[in-house]
Amino acid sequence: MSNWIPLWLHRLSSPPTFYRFAGTLQPWAMTLALLLGAVALYGGLVLAPADYQQGDAYRIIFIHVPSAWMGMFIYAVMGVAGFIALVWRIKLAEVVAMQSAPIGAAFTFITLVTGSLWGKPMWGTWWTWDARLTSELVLLFLFLGVIGLYHAFEDRRQGARAAAFLAIVGVINVPIVHFSVNWWNTLHQGSTVNVFGKSTMSWDMLWPLLTMTLATKCYYAASLFRRVRTDLLDLEGGKDWVRQIAESEADR
Amino acid sequence: MTAASTTVPLLQARALSFHRQDEPVFAPLDFQLHAGELALVEGDNGSGKTTLLRMLAGLLHRGGGELLWRGEALQRDQCAGQILFLGHQLGLKADLSPRENLRIAAGLHGTREGLGMASVLADVGLRGYEDEPVRRLSAGQKKRAALARLVLLPATLWLLDEPYANLDRIGIALVNHLLEKHTAAGGAAMVTSHGTVSFHGGEPRRIRMHG
Amino acid sequence: MAEHPGVATACAAMLRRDLTLAWRRRGDIAMPVLYALIVTMLFPFALGPEDTLLQRIAGGVILVTVLLAMLLALDAMFSSDIEDGSLEQLVLAPQPLALLLGMKILAHWITTALPLIVIAPLMAAMLHLPGAVIPVLLLALLLATPLLSLLGAVLVALTAGTRRSGMLLALMLLPLCVPAVIFAAGAVAAAQQGLPWLAPIAWLAASLALAVVLAPLACAAALRIALDA
Repeated sequence: MSNWIPLWLHRLSSPPTFYRFAGTLQPWAMTLALLLGAVALYGGLVLAPADYQQGDAYRIIFIHVPSAWMGMFIYAVMGVAGFIALVWRIKLAEVVAMQSAPIGAAFTFITLVTGSLWGKPMWGTWWTWDARLTSELVLLFLFLGVIGLYHAFEDRRQGARAAAFLAIVGVINVPIVHFSVNWWNTLHQGSTVNVFGKSTMSWDMLWPLLTMTLATKCYYAASLFRRVRTDLLDLEGGKDWVRQIAESEADR
Repeated sequence: MTAASTTVPLLQARALSFHRQDEPVFAPLDFQLHAGELALVEGDNGSGKTTLLRMLAGLLHRGGGELLWRGEALQRDQCAGQILFLGHQLGLKADLSPRENLRIAAGLHGTREGLGMASVLADVGLRGYEDEPVRRLSAGQKKRAALARLVLLPATLWLLDEPYANLDRIGIALVNHLLEKHTAAGGAAMVTSHGTVSFHGGEPRRIRMHG
Repeated sequence: MAEHPGVATACAAMLRRDLTLAWRRRGDIAMPVLYALIVTMLFPFALGPEDTLLQRIAGGVILVTVLLAMLLALDAMFSSDIEDGSLEQLVLAPQPLALLLGMKILAHWITTALPLIVIAPLMAAMLHLPGAVIPVLLLALLLATPLLSLLGAVLVALTAGTRRSGMLLALMLLPLCVPAVIFAAGAVAAAQQGLPWLAPIAWLAASLALAVVLAPLACAAALRIALDA
């Protein structure tokens, strides 16, 4: 009675089912992402009041903070999918893990760029060896390592398994890196200004931030669905269901 | 010990298959191998003979189907050390002598009772080459050094991929002799080969592979 | 059924094998050492021979140089064993693969990292590091280098199935070795400033303890993935 969830998941993990499922959801996710993003930008850039200390420059956090959260969130998704791929050898999990990596890398890159844009007026420099920035840089390298390892193999499924393994090693390592960088940072220089004390943030600033977080989640879903669909068609090239799709596309 | 005396087969495969990039490498296989038996794995190039042996050795993951070891599902630690694999790469360190190579293998696997390294090396025709680095041996001699490892180690099942390659007429006779001795002592072996093999210890079981 | 040799015998055989192989090619052992010396020599040329400046950067330079020298040697950890099929034989051995690989890593550490630690005082002298700091530097290296060997082994095992892995290895190792570098360099810097240096050393030791347990297991799992092709 209670096993309909695993059953449903099992059915969903078959490539043709997921292809259709993702195809149905993808436009909705993309529409939602655009709508929420537009609302959040309007709320953040126009409605929210200027900060009494930082003026208008702080408004970059409406991009910066959701991207930073997405970077970590996507790494977690990649780790979990990678674990599933390694333990149960589910092809869909491999594809999800590997197609998440470039999106995660992009979000982490956006975080770094917006962070340094913001650092210029705040700290007077593009880059500072702040603990959070450095951890973010390490996260970017982890993403790039996973992508690089995946593409280094000739057998793509073997590459996906090896890269998933690396992602899991990274999951263990990220907290250690964060801790060590924090330790190192306090040794070398005083702790930098803590801007993201959430309790001090007013509702006017908070709601666009949360809306943008939702928008990035939807964008990730839409982008992932699209990438996974393409990759499934490529991986399953010789199968009947792909041939049927190709024929129905040709008929149109 | 003959095949008839043991009812439970040493190794049994049911609908065994393997996929690479979603393409089946060979058609589903059913076979059984009893202690004291020899099986010839036959098939054309690319029919998946090497893949089969590597999968049986546990180097490749199990594809579809079932694999039983002494009647129970085959697990890695259950048959550890009882299966030996000899592939295209012989697993000999070129900088070490045959004797040193054997010593390492014996350190990991132990040795068969009553066998010494010197006598085993002499049996495979490497007398006088015991302490020469493997690098300086001919291809056939290297093969013989690898065969010596099979003889020395206490294992039940031999998986031999093209054991006749690089061997002269005497070498081929040597392989056949070793296989006969191994099966007579209650061991079993699976051998892949393109050519026909003359085997004196009765008719070997044949496993035909189709790509 | 024959009894297989105990774990101790197997470990001894493994260690002996790798040390013998390294000894047969002892010229290779000198390479990382020469590399480290040359890199260290380049710093005074690039920065000028001022004592104070060299002293300040000495600890960090030595650590990073040792790390890079080890990175150069890492690539070869499993390549020859994969080429000649020895690794397949190891996988089929009755002992746990993780244990045998642990021995391989130990042998690799002895042949590549230990010589670097031995010449570390010489590198320290080239950069005018105060003599009082050298014991801390050696302690930090003794704890950090095995950590790098263990982490590196996991990554080398992962790249073992690929065509070329040199640059990829560096890209993958960088995020993983950040903590080791930070704590080791932190200990040396603290000792140089007369501050207590025990805390970073203790963190290094804790990470090493964790890695000694986990890395061989991860390495075995990674190699099984690499062989499974």
